[in-house]
This record gives sequence, C-alpha cells and structure tokens, in this order.
Amino acid sequence: MRYALLVYSDQSSWDGIGEEEAARLRAEAMPQWITLFEEMGKADPDVVGYELESASEAKVVRVRDGERIVTDGPFADTKEVVGGIFLTTLPDLDEAIRIASLVPAAAYGSLEIRPLADHGDAG
Amino acid sequence: MKVMALIYADEAAWDGLSEQERAGVLERYVALAREAREADVMLGGDELAGTRAATTVRVRDGEVVVSDGPYAEVKEALGGYFLFECATLDEAVDWAARIPAAEHGAVEVRPVHVDEEEVA
Repeated sequence: MRYALLVYSDQSSWDGIGEEEAARLRAEAMPQWITLFEEMGKADPDVVGYELESASEAKVVRVRDGERIVTDGPFADTKEVVGGIFLTTLPDLDEAIRIASLVPAAAYGSLEIRPLADHGDAG
Repeated sequence: MKVMALIYADEAAWDGLSEQERAGVLERYVALAREAREADVMLGGDELAGTRAATTVRVRDGEVVVSDGPYAEVKEALGGYFLFECATLDEAVDWAARIPAAEHGAVEVRPVHVDEEEVA
C-alpha cells in the first residue's frame, strides 16, 4: 500500500529563536532522524521525503468566477501546520504507524497517515 | 526551485458528484499534469485517499498514541499535491491557479526546503 505520512507541527516554536539555538535543537534531534531514515530505508528503499519551507512563505491561490485571488499563507489556521511529507510503500497500516512514530515531530506534533488514492494519479 | 502545491478541497462536495462529473474532473487533472510535464515543470503528484481513511500518530511521554481520523477535522482537507519545478514562486502560483480545486477550494503553494531527499 502506498502511503503519505504528513508531518504536522507548530512551526512558530522555531520563530524568534537564534541560529545557535536552532542548530542545537537540530543536532539534538539528529540521532532520531538517523534512526528514522535507517528504518524507513529498510522498509522501503524508494521512500522520498520533502521538507516544506516555513508556512509564512506560503501563498494560497483561489480562483473565483474566473478571477485569481492570491493571499499570503498558510491555508490552514490551525496551530500545527503541515511541514513535510513522506511518500512510501509499506505492507500495512501497522508498519506505517511504526514508521510514523519514529518521526521526531511525532513527539511534539502529529503524524497523519493517509493512503494514496489508487486512481487519478497525477504523476 | 521545487514547489509543492497542496490541494485543499471539501470532500463532501467531491462525494456528492456523480461518477460522470468525477471522471470529468479527473480528466482535467490528467490534462494539467500532461501539460506541466510538457512544459518541464512537473516533478510529481499524488491524490490522497479521503480523510476517512486517515490515521493520526503521536508520541507522548514515550507512548505511541494512535487515533482514527485526520489530524484536524476541517471543512477543506488536504486531498493531494503537485510537485513543480519552477523558476520562481510566481510561476508556481500560475500553475497552481490552473488546478481544478482552486476554483472551489484552495491551493497552497510552498517551496520545498531541500532537494527531493532520498532518505534511503
């Protein structure tokens, strides 16, 4: 089964912290990321992951009555916003849950697992 | 730059369409993807199964907490994405405006932080 693992976290916790503090936090989480990538790679060598730029850089596009309306993003007004996405093929939901729980953000944000639709593939 | 166009739309509206209407919408997506490929801006895309099929995972105090359903109950849910390779964010906005869901939902355009990352 193909899954998308959506990584939700409160990106505002990164706002206003210094470069040094950000680097320290990243270094602290590094062993967890290494474990995640090892486990992901073992489960699916073809897994891909995308980290999105901060939601403050997002633009939201709507078209109404043929008119394009572009606003500064993000789309969602929830505290936690999607900050990354993994696409992976795994045997079942249990394995997807195991992998999702290894993502560092699962400990302070949320991981949403969504199967990919098996039709209308745009790729 | 790589830019992800996140597609948000009302799932109930989609569920309310006839088979024929859905086929028409999907055809527009396929046509847009083809055009983006021909323009060399198309890197990929996927449609997500509906939020009914979602599972949310959190780890709190070392315990894995699993719940059925999406991260948040919202009227317009993330339903898919396109990944574009564009010269500028404005160019990505142009492509995003052509995604059918922009006409009733919304498309969020976000640059991808690092290159497509082979984590294997």
